Amino acid sequence: MPVFRWGHTWDPFRDLEREVDQLLAKVSLFHGIRFGRQYPPINVYELDNEFLLTAELPGTRPEDLEVLISGGVLTIKGKRLGPEGISDDRFRRQERPRGVWQRSLTLPDHIQDEKLAAEFTNGVLCIRLPKARAVAPRQIPVTNGNPG
Amino acid sequence: MSHEIVRTSETAPPPPKEYPIDEVVFNPPIDIFETAEGLVLQADLPGVATDSLELQIQDNKLSLFGKVSLSVPSEARLIHQEYQVGHFLRSFILSDEVDHERISAKLNQGVLEVVLPRLSKPEPRRIQIQID
Repeated sequence: MPVFRWGHTWDPFRDLEREVDQLLAKVSLFHGIRFGRQYPPINVYELDNEFLLTAELPGTRPEDLEVLISGGVLTIKGKRLGPEGISDDRFRRQERPRGVWQRSLTLPDHIQDEKLAAEFTNGVLCIRLPKARAVAPRQIPVTNGNPG
Repeated sequence: MSHEIVRTSETAPPPPKEYPIDEVVFNPPIDIFETAEGLVLQADLPGVATDSLELQIQDNKLSLFGKVSLSVPSEARLIHQEYQVGHFLRSFILSDEVDHERISAKLNQGVLEVVLPRLSKPEPRRIQIQID
């Protein structure tokens, strides 16, 4: 059966592929719909005197990356935007995640918050969490609260 | 189809023998977009340094292999894991529309950017007609 086209020509397969790519990109990003997990994924390593927390954030500009600590909660947030001046319809393929994200983690008690340090190398964020020295248990005297 | 300049291979080919792979190998996510001059390919290669990235063109096949070095000391014990660390391998078929001689690449903060300029079309040439 002949297929008639009128008006402007179009390429349905190309458009469809792009639509699907964009749809997948939307759901697979930072909302965790597709993978059901938080972004970015984090690994935690332990050394004798510190914990190391790593996350892969390729292409994130250091100025778009923020590491905060408050009340024992570590928050990392940042964004990765698409190339400037390139509209979405110029993309042939779009698999790399982009957008704005934020993640918070509760730190163990024995961390020296003030000595926390972060470095960003080859697109990998590494946060060093120095352990506090073990504190000897302190005996709390119990006094008799009854009057007289 | 004329716009099919770069075709990504459906499955990653097995790594070439000369690479001593002892860890996991991933197919890195890529973006390809058009510019006025041609195409730009971007690939996420976190943990890959410039000296551990190999980019090769053989015939019309562009392959990238990025070797990752661990960002933590080897004695560190992994106590919580949400992602795996591995090398990156992927290849692409380039069409004849890409000017192979002018392909350039750079790596910045774990992102490889390959610029694939379109071959410039030769100018129309006027042919002199001779009269006998």
